[in-house]
Amino acid sequence: MKRRELVGGLERDRSKWGWAFIAPGLVFFSIFSFYPMLNAIWTSFFNKRLLSLKRPSFIGLQNYQKVLGSQDFWNSARATATFTIGVFVPLFIMSLLFAALITNMKRGKRFAQAALYSPAVLSSVVAALIWLLMLDPRGLANQFVNWIAMTPGIDHQWLSSAAMVQVSTMIVYVWKYLGYFTILFVTGIGKIPDSVNEAALMDGAGPLRRFFSITLPLLRPTTVLVSVMILIQCMKTFSTQYLFTQSGAPLAPINVITLNIYNTAMRDLNIGRASVMSTLLFLLMLGLTWIQLRVSRKSEADL
Amino acid sequence: MMGRSRETVGSITGTLVLAVACALVLVPLAFMLGSSFMPAMDIMRMPYRWIPEVWKPSNYLRALAGNDGSWMYLRNIFNSVFVSTSIAVSTVLLSSLVGYGLAKFRFRGRNAVFMAIMGTMMIPFETIMIPLYLIAVKAGMQNSYAGLIVPFLMNAFGVFIMRQYLITFPDEMLDAARIDGCSEPRIFWDIVFRNAGPAAATLAVLSFRQQWDNLLWPLLIAQDEKMKTIPAYIVKFAAEKHADEGAMMAVAVIASIPVFVLFFSLSKYFLGGSAVYQAGKE
Repeated sequence: MKRRELVGGLERDRSKWGWAFIAPGLVFFSIFSFYPMLNAIWTSFFNKRLLSLKRPSFIGLQNYQKVLGSQDFWNSARATATFTIGVFVPLFIMSLLFAALITNMKRGKRFAQAALYSPAVLSSVVAALIWLLMLDPRGLANQFVNWIAMTPGIDHQWLSSAAMVQVSTMIVYVWKYLGYFTILFVTGIGKIPDSVNEAALMDGAGPLRRFFSITLPLLRPTTVLVSVMILIQCMKTFSTQYLFTQSGAPLAPINVITLNIYNTAMRDLNIGRASVMSTLLFLLMLGLTWIQLRVSRKSEADL
Repeated sequence: MMGRSRETVGSITGTLVLAVACALVLVPLAFMLGSSFMPAMDIMRMPYRWIPEVWKPSNYLRALAGNDGSWMYLRNIFNSVFVSTSIAVSTVLLSSLVGYGLAKFRFRGRNAVFMAIMGTMMIPFETIMIPLYLIAVKAGMQNSYAGLIVPFLMNAFGVFIMRQYLITFPDEMLDAARIDGCSEPRIFWDIVFRNAGPAAATLAVLSFRQQWDNLLWPLLIAQDEKMKTIPAYIVKFAAEKHADEGAMMAVAVIASIPVFVLFFSLSKYFLGGSAVYQAGKE
């Protein structure tokens, strides 16, 4: 009896310490994650302006109506979608291809990985700045393309034409993240047991056949993970577009959603409408993260 | 026999493709480094010369002094180092504290707390930046180190990494220490935290790098030139029309030196970071 009381007391004591250890986390995440999230949703129903002394008034769904009815918002949705697809396709294919090539290499694996990864070390702003100069009309990009295509003296308007400036932001992104996702794929391919590949080799399957019938299906958890990570990353893009527009590139073609939120809040001082866009972005991300979690849990069960 | 030779051809092609890709990826880095020593005229010259013909190391002086000669970049570099380091340290400390509580203590509601913290990973910073900004303004944290640091003191990813790492920590060691009369805070500090090395190092490197890259938040909270961090300085410097390109690249090189030093000395933690992420998500 006495012993049980003692143990019970210890347990209670231990659980108190448990709460003590997690307390900083509870406080921090309440103030800096949960409250702002709820606040963003709440504010999206109000007519709230930055720097205004007037009490924000409740206006129901009017902000949503305004935003969803404005061309500006749909242009941002288009810009974000174009950017996301334009980055996703080349980034996914190239990182998978390079990962497969690296895995098959006998020497120089580490060097190839480090070389491809090196742009990921840079800050996004630095990456965008380097390209800003290379994409100048007199810059390296024109020289290189004209040399390949044998079209001397043509300016491809990387930073001024509406179509090309979008392509330019995509190039910066693909360049910067290629190595990161290649390494994720290399890790994923490394987890596939050698025995499966050896069995296929015995059966006389060529490298392409082995890639498509063995590596790719067994790599599914990684491909889904990488896909969702690229999508989330692309929808949050900000630095490249911000630096380009600040340095004189046209805003409309690359006015992605985060840039629009920033401008609506800080330039137009319209917090209510910015909050609407924030809430919509959150819902979209929530959906994507949910897929990611579901897939990762499923692959855990498979293992 | 046929298959063997076809495979050799295939692997040679593969290596070639890879070599070209690596070379292309490294071109912008070479451009940044080479141009940082060139006069502006040579950077935009056709055809471009990779090795400077006229060396102009004064670009670096110009980069540090700024176009207005205020030497603000030095101050902004210090801000970036100070803010990123503080955040790295506090993230490791607080995340291990919370991760330890979640990994090694049993109490009601523990799972709910863990899931709630993990749930914050779904909240993109872009959606909460404006409420956060309003909070920070109310707390008088505009243009201060507190404003730059406090919203990033810890993060859910860090809690996750530390919890996963500490869950494998041997209970016997903790119990032995308790029998010896060690207090719980002492146990955490002397036994648990001391042994959290690899996970803590990875987390520190990742947090540092993430903050080094942060543009959006400093842009909101630190509008005073003195409180800007490197990314915000770069945007301003690039937007100034009379800035010359050589100095721009020198600014870029200076901004990249710390992260490249980190990368080459701790590459296993960098590359390990993606591995940890991979392992964590799968």
